[in-house]
Amino acid sequence: MLSGLYLWQQLRNDKSGLAGLSIVLIFFVLAVGVWAGLLGQDWSVASGARWQSPDANFWFGTNILGQDIFQRSIFSVQTAFEIGIVVSVFSTILGAFLGAIAGWYSNSWIDNAVLWLTGVLDSIPFYLFVAAVAYALQGKGWAMHIAMIATFWTTTGRLVRAEVMKLKSREFVLSAQAIGLPDLQILSRHLLPNTSHILLVQTSIAFVAAIKTEVILSFLGIGVQNGVSWGLMLAESTQEVLAGHFNNFLAASGMLFALLIGFNLLTDALQDAFDPNQAAL
Amino acid sequence: MQYLLQKMVHGLLLILGVTLVSFILMVWFGPDQTYTLIGKNATPEQIEDIGRQLGYDQPFALRYANYVGDLFTFNLGASNSSGEQVSSILRKTIPVTLALMIPGFVLGNLLGIALGLTAAQHRGRWADRLITGLSVTGMSVSFLVIIIVLQVLLSTPYGLNLFPVRGWQVGDPLSYFRYVTVPTLSLIFVTLGYNTRFYRAVFVEESGKDHIRTARAYGASSASILWKHVLKNSLVPITTRVMFSIPLVVISGSLLIESYFGIPGVGKVTFDAITNGDQPVLKAVVGLTAVAFVLIQVLTDFVYKLVDPRIT
Amino acid sequence: MTCWGKLNRVTPYKQKIIAVCLSLGALLVLSACQESADVQNTANDYSIYRHSMDGAPASLDPAQASSIYANFLAVNLYDTLYRYKYLARPYQLEPNLAEGLPEVSSDGLIYTIRIKPGAHFIDDPAFPEGKGRAVSARDFVYSIKRQFDVKTRAQGAWLWQDRIVGLEDWKEEGSDYDQDVSGLKALNDRTLQIQLISPFPQLTHTLAQGYSAIVPREAVEFYGKEFAIHPVGSGPYRLQAFDSARAVLIRNADFREEPLSLEAEGYNPESHAHLGLELLEGRSPPFTNRIEIEFISEDAARWNSFIAGELDFIKVPVSQFDQVLQQRDPPRLESSLDEDYHLLANLESGFVHTDFNMDDRRIGYHPDKTQNARNRALRCAITKAFDWQKRNEVFYYGIGQVFPGIIPPAAPEFDPGQDMGPVTRDLEGARTLLTDFGWNAENLPVLEYGFPASVTERQMFEQFRSFMGEVGYPQEKIRPLTFATYGDYARAYLNREVMLTTIGWTMDYPDAENTIQLFYGPNSSPGSNSANYNNNEFNRLYRASSGIQPSPMRTTMYRNMNRIVLDDCATISGVSRRLILLWDKSKVMLPDRSFLGGFFFRFVDSVQHAEEGNEAEQ
Repeated sequence: MLSGLYLWQQLRNDKSGLAGLSIVLIFFVLAVGVWAGLLGQDWSVASGARWQSPDANFWFGTNILGQDIFQRSIFSVQTAFEIGIVVSVFSTILGAFLGAIAGWYSNSWIDNAVLWLTGVLDSIPFYLFVAAVAYALQGKGWAMHIAMIATFWTTTGRLVRAEVMKLKSREFVLSAQAIGLPDLQILSRHLLPNTSHILLVQTSIAFVAAIKTEVILSFLGIGVQNGVSWGLMLAESTQEVLAGHFNNFLAASGMLFALLIGFNLLTDALQDAFDPNQAAL
Repeated sequence: MQYLLQKMVHGLLLILGVTLVSFILMVWFGPDQTYTLIGKNATPEQIEDIGRQLGYDQPFALRYANYVGDLFTFNLGASNSSGEQVSSILRKTIPVTLALMIPGFVLGNLLGIALGLTAAQHRGRWADRLITGLSVTGMSVSFLVIIIVLQVLLSTPYGLNLFPVRGWQVGDPLSYFRYVTVPTLSLIFVTLGYNTRFYRAVFVEESGKDHIRTARAYGASSASILWKHVLKNSLVPITTRVMFSIPLVVISGSLLIESYFGIPGVGKVTFDAITNGDQPVLKAVVGLTAVAFVLIQVLTDFVYKLVDPRIT
Repeated sequence: MTCWGKLNRVTPYKQKIIAVCLSLGALLVLSACQESADVQNTANDYSIYRHSMDGAPASLDPAQASSIYANFLAVNLYDTLYRYKYLARPYQLEPNLAEGLPEVSSDGLIYTIRIKPGAHFIDDPAFPEGKGRAVSARDFVYSIKRQFDVKTRAQGAWLWQDRIVGLEDWKEEGSDYDQDVSGLKALNDRTLQIQLISPFPQLTHTLAQGYSAIVPREAVEFYGKEFAIHPVGSGPYRLQAFDSARAVLIRNADFREEPLSLEAEGYNPESHAHLGLELLEGRSPPFTNRIEIEFISEDAARWNSFIAGELDFIKVPVSQFDQVLQQRDPPRLESSLDEDYHLLANLESGFVHTDFNMDDRRIGYHPDKTQNARNRALRCAITKAFDWQKRNEVFYYGIGQVFPGIIPPAAPEFDPGQDMGPVTRDLEGARTLLTDFGWNAENLPVLEYGFPASVTERQMFEQFRSFMGEVGYPQEKIRPLTFATYGDYARAYLNREVMLTTIGWTMDYPDAENTIQLFYGPNSSPGSNSANYNNNEFNRLYRASSGIQPSPMRTTMYRNMNRIVLDDCATISGVSRRLILLWDKSKVMLPDRSFLGGFFFRFVDSVQHAEEGNEAEQ
């Protein structure tokens, strides 16, 4: 089991990792600011003229309705974090749970069932899945989250399963069984914590994947419904870019890029910290 | 023999699973195509008529059984929107999708392998850092952003205006080149970052192994080490990745590219069918995707045996 | 080790890998070449017209020609009995396959129509020995009957629903084509007779629609479902290729000879002199050998394609108006574009409006009289708070025409002098209404504004929300109700599930009856009365006016009905968009993008081709 202290010591020496972490933290603070009602609250107010250039009032200018692009970009940070956190946490939990069970009872029907499920979910065209869930939940924004959680857990599940299979023949597990500890307790107290390095990395990867997927889904119209996100801003911008107005596009893609690269650097650093030799997926 | 049988059973179960889940999604949650097919001022009777024509009133189990039966006898039916036979639609669109996606897919992987090798060879030095930095950057840009930027830069008067904005009127190698370039570039941009990182990690791991050090000790040159030993021995993970990214990249990726660039391929047809609820088309595509997925898994094992005789 | 030796050592698996790569490469090249190439060098071939549409037809079966795109194709691949004059505006009916306007009996119930001789269906494997045959009146009877056959999945039946004697019975008895319909008969090969249940002055208009296009029974039975992509018609063009990206039409050399008379088509020197149409006088359409229609719904792609010279015609996307026009009213082109392109600014024949769902007690009819009055006040307040000028400015470039009520400017019954009060923003009035009827931030209902998910619709919603905010409507109480596709949206509002529905209505014929019927009680959902409006006085006036020919008295009745709807504030209406059409000056034509406009294709020609044609004749 890796302690937080060990992790921090590893990270401290990784300059790009630190950079990534700082970027993520900055964005996190922005998200909290929006949640707390301090920032980005006027994202839907159409107060400016159409397509104004950046000035003192509108730092990034305005879009076709006269809405403040800067406010919209900041509000989108909250949207991104909400989606990222919900999807990554729940998909990791689901993957850890199912993967652990499958690995523990490997080669039994439980294992086969879980493997079959991952195979099925991986072969269904993703957009069909999301679209179907979106129609089923008719306009309530959770469709996107549910669809992503239901498909992202498979990678985590497979990795945890492999790890549990590797670990369960180890001494500490055998001794725990010898004492007579129930399976569930062994899994939750002893095995799963030993997979925490996998879980942490996968959470980070899932966060990135969730945000990127939301961008595309919002562009296609089956993503964020009420509110604003970078995906929606990019969708708006496709028409504006044609008429020579680039502010919306630059703001959304710029901020999206910054957050993603922060997370990617952080993910790399985490992977290096846990095992510099391990091949990354 | 038993192994093959076991694989077949697995495959069959998988296909059944995929078709069942997709069918549930389509029938219970998918869009009701009735309302796209009625005219203005429809009466409730007309709406019912169309619903009956589309087969919506039959019980679920019956419809699913018909679906599976149709699939295994290759009776794919006709599209509800255009009336065209689904088999004919697929026959026209699958070659287009392949012609569109294969160059980008192949190049993306080849370049990824080449860059990964270079980075692994100069591990820790500036070349490695540059390549790694670029691939992280590549992984952080949204597919959408790349498509928009490339289109503006290459196909509009704001940029170079060298290539057509959209379309697919391909008759000869030259027109093929014109229409396939921008989509191919987008695909390469999107996948290169991920590919390079993956291959680099694979090669780094391989280079650390004993037999490589032995070869070096015997005085073999860097280049031959890389090519003969590292690459050859990494073929298993490379194969795995290539084979398993086919469904993801070619099938899902083509959907976005074809919609945006207006290319009449399988991805666009599927996407239109998803948004319209055109069930015959969806059933066929989902069924075929499941079959393809299973085939890929079987093929992967086969390719493993080819590249690495040690695997039994 | 020699080179050859090294080659020899290419192990079996390497050989296999190389083989796979080579076959992949071969597959690539084969795929590329297999793309059937209709690609000719179109740049210099002047008998090709390259048209663009901002959408694609799903089906080429006239019975399913519900979209403007499908209608355009249907009227060119097939014959309709009537069409509209090429140049006359407002639109005027003109015989197409029919020989003259219908003979109508004195009670207005029996229409007798003769069709011209010499119309032929194109050669097709569906016919015996592949040779097309002459069109007969029986084919028309068959085509209308089809609309009432469940298997056709027809969309046009509503035009003749409950109008023609015996047609509903025919449908109930199983739609047997060998069975006759008493009100729809072919008296002989060239004469047909329609008997109506009650007078229907708009009948002739319906015979100019794609839905009424004449199809041969042999082809429908031969191709079955695939008839939708295998048109077999007698129109000025036949189909060479069709997919989701484009359609290619080839001139039908056997189309009947009908020399063009500009005067008969409504030529007016004031509006038409600069188009060079005189070159076409006396020649027989269709003039262009080949029409390539590109279906490009993405604005950006369509505009870039046009500017790059790949298209001869475009309906300019709104986002480009700024760059294209140097002046708005009247619209004039930028000088750089003026050299190469003609401009036409057409008001659409239709309008966009937002309906309140009167069936929804929170905002519509309420059994309790006081609450009913309060709801009406709320609706009127919302209507007053709506800023039409800003809506017009942002989404229609300010050149749309805002008008009060449900009779759009394109209808002959439109009253240009009417009071614009209902569409003038009145924040004070709105606030007064709200306070007078006891509405405040706490008890205002949540408004659910429905729309299909698209960028523009979402922006319109956000604009609506900010309009309401200025009159004190709490922003959280205005919620989006989104639908992933238009079909889904249609299902919801046709099932009365949407509180505020924004719809665009395209007129099927130039007669206000087509828009007035949108508020006739019995037409409520799933009919076109999406507001589910039901007013006794309105209904009475509608029934009284329905059999009457267009006349000043009828116009007065329609305007009264308009006022009734406005008084009830049942709808926030409306705006007619102005379309900017551009086309290359090398083409001689007056294009049209309305539902009635598909007939212009046959008259399109290029300047060079027309001049050569004229020389040849001299």
